[in-house]
Amino acid sequence: MAEDFERRLERLFAEHPELADAGAFAERVERRLNAGWTARRWLIGAAGVVGGVIGASQLMVSNLFQRVETAGDSAKLISSSLNHLSASTDWMSAVSAGGVGVWAAAALAVVMMGFVLTRVIGEI
Amino acid sequence: MPGLGHSRFTSLHDVELCAHAATGERRAFGELVRRHGSAVRGVLRRMGAQGAEADDVAQDAFLTAFERIAEFRGEGTFAGWVKRIAARLYLRRLQKDRRLGSLSTEAAEAESSTNGGDADAAIDLDEALKTLGATERVCVTMCFGAGLSHSEAAEALNLPLGTVKSHVKRGLDKLRTRLAPDGGAAVEGRRGNG
Repeated sequence: MAEDFERRLERLFAEHPELADAGAFAERVERRLNAGWTARRWLIGAAGVVGGVIGASQLMVSNLFQRVETAGDSAKLISSSLNHLSASTDWMSAVSAGGVGVWAAAALAVVMMGFVLTRVIGEI
Repeated sequence: MPGLGHSRFTSLHDVELCAHAATGERRAFGELVRRHGSAVRGVLRRMGAQGAEADDVAQDAFLTAFERIAEFRGEGTFAGWVKRIAARLYLRRLQKDRRLGSLSTEAAEAESSTNGGDADAAIDLDEALKTLGATERVCVTMCFGAGLSHSEAAEALNLPLGTVKSHVKRGLDKLRTRLAPDGGAAVEGRRGNG
């Protein structure tokens, strides 16, 4: 008997009139969602710009390009050494000749950083 | 383009919409709000929130639900999940405004003022709920409207479990009387005889 009434009460609670301004209410919620999202995008964008500026300035300060050139020269040296060692390693010398290997590694690192950044932004 | 998006979502099931919303698709979540907004606002009004306050809390509940959509595993309905969030948010607001402490006083006042309700008035759930004391109303609505267990309600209300059970029982007794086919008349009859 009591359980019957409780079930009836649950049914009564489940029945609710559709409010006249249901559409307007949903729009208000969507507006707030969009506003929050816009603010978040601005924040991420601003953080990206700040991070980029800091990263670029650090690259300048640390003379990265000069170091890359040095690494390129080293790669050439290693390449020529390898050529002397074995003729079967021609493919490796082709890749590393002229510092291509270093640049390929740098490109790979940039792609990896992009991937990580995408994941981080996704998580945020 | 937005119109196209909305029409695409209207045919989807709640669970599918939740999956879209979990990927950040706000239009899918908007469709969920369109479907269940009235139910969530209705529960808050039945808990005793006034129109504008109920809408504010309902909006906050939906925004919280969007933030935590990944936590919704599809156990139970989406509407039930948001109702529970909304009920807890409303209680938090009551506690913050120190209105919850005054509920017991309101309850006594409500009880004395509603026993002499108009027997000829149309008795439906909303009318019947108005005959309950404020705490009884909150407890009954949380348990039967928002689907919280007695323990969850006790935790949210920061009241002992036994107290919540007593409020629910008293509320149910009153509702049973008011919602009986001769509900109001029976109350009036007993008053007349007593």
